[in-house]
Amino acid sequence: MTPSGVITVRIPAEAGHVPLLRTAVAGVAARQDFTLEEVDDLRMGVEEAAVLLLRRSASQPIELHLEVTGDGLDIRLETVIDGDEPAIDTSSFSWTILSALVDEVASTREGNRARIALAKRRTQGIPA
Amino acid sequence: MTTKYSRDDTKMLFAKLRETEDPELREQLARLHLPLVEYLAKRFKDRGEPLDDLIQVGSVGLLKAIDRFDLDRGVEFSTYATPTIVGELKRYFRDKGWAVRVPRRLQELSLRLNKVVSQLTQDLGRSPTVSEIAKAAEVSEEEVLEALESGQAYSTTSLDAPAGNDDDDTPQRLERMGEEDVALENLEYFASLAPLIEQLPEREREILYLRFFKGMTQSKIAEHVGISQMHVSRLLSRILEFLRSGMEGDADY
Repeated sequence: MTPSGVITVRIPAEAGHVPLLRTAVAGVAARQDFTLEEVDDLRMGVEEAAVLLLRRSASQPIELHLEVTGDGLDIRLETVIDGDEPAIDTSSFSWTILSALVDEVASTREGNRARIALAKRRTQGIPA
Repeated sequence: MTTKYSRDDTKMLFAKLRETEDPELREQLARLHLPLVEYLAKRFKDRGEPLDDLIQVGSVGLLKAIDRFDLDRGVEFSTYATPTIVGELKRYFRDKGWAVRVPRRLQELSLRLNKVVSQLTQDLGRSPTVSEIAKAAEVSEEEVLEALESGQAYSTTSLDAPAGNDDDDTPQRLERMGEEDVALENLEYFASLAPLIEQLPEREREILYLRFFKGMTQSKIAEHVGISQMHVSRLLSRILEFLRSGMEGDADY
């Protein structure tokens, strides 16, 4: 019944477009039986990750990939970045925020492509 | 000082004001007609804006009316001022993007869903899902999504509202005092953020700490701090936004 496949949203590297990514992830998550609070976490998480990439972006589009998995949602944000450093400094405050908002967070880099991967599982039915 | 409403006083004050342009008279007229503003503001009070804010907005309309009122028109000032005050209030909501952009049907559903959500949160001991809300409210999931989105848009604009107008003197507040130091210490570990975090009100600092360092859920924080989960959510977004813009330049919380 649940549609499958990866949903992709691509925005120009401008802060003004980031809300669109928030809306996209919220729309998908809310339809996947995440609780409102989890939807909210995802919204904030995607925004945080997008802003991180935006700061490093070589003015290339930022892509958001959303994939519904058996127990939740896999999210990837990607862009082309400048410089040699990893996409995220894992000792940063942003990293702490991301770690609190989702179940898994990873920052990888292949060539000049930086990626932040987030995963969040549903906890529906498990009392807070 | 007279604050009791009287038509004769009003006429006399207006005559004097036109003659002398004395700002004190203008103020006296404003004070005299504040009950009118309050009365009109109350008619807008179920739209999610604090009454105090509405009275302030209405007062702007009142001052405009005072400045424009023409004694020779032969109408009572209150008759003249009412549409100006109401116009100011309407414009306020229009600027907020709620009254006009969000259809009435959605506004009503959104308000109703707020109640359903808090009831479900209480019953389930956690935040509900869209399908649970739809079932409880007896509407479709798409309608819930639509209403939540419109509500979300609305909450986003009300982020501009001043923070900290909840009751801060709840009993829990005292019990929580001891935790403050811990919160600060942990947050200040991020040296670059310390000056920004210092600018946050105590409650916002605590919410930040509980959510991101203690991993507490929004509902738990809501319970702990004594505000609604929706409010926690709004505050969190606002805090993150502040920290982000603060790191890039300067920002005011």
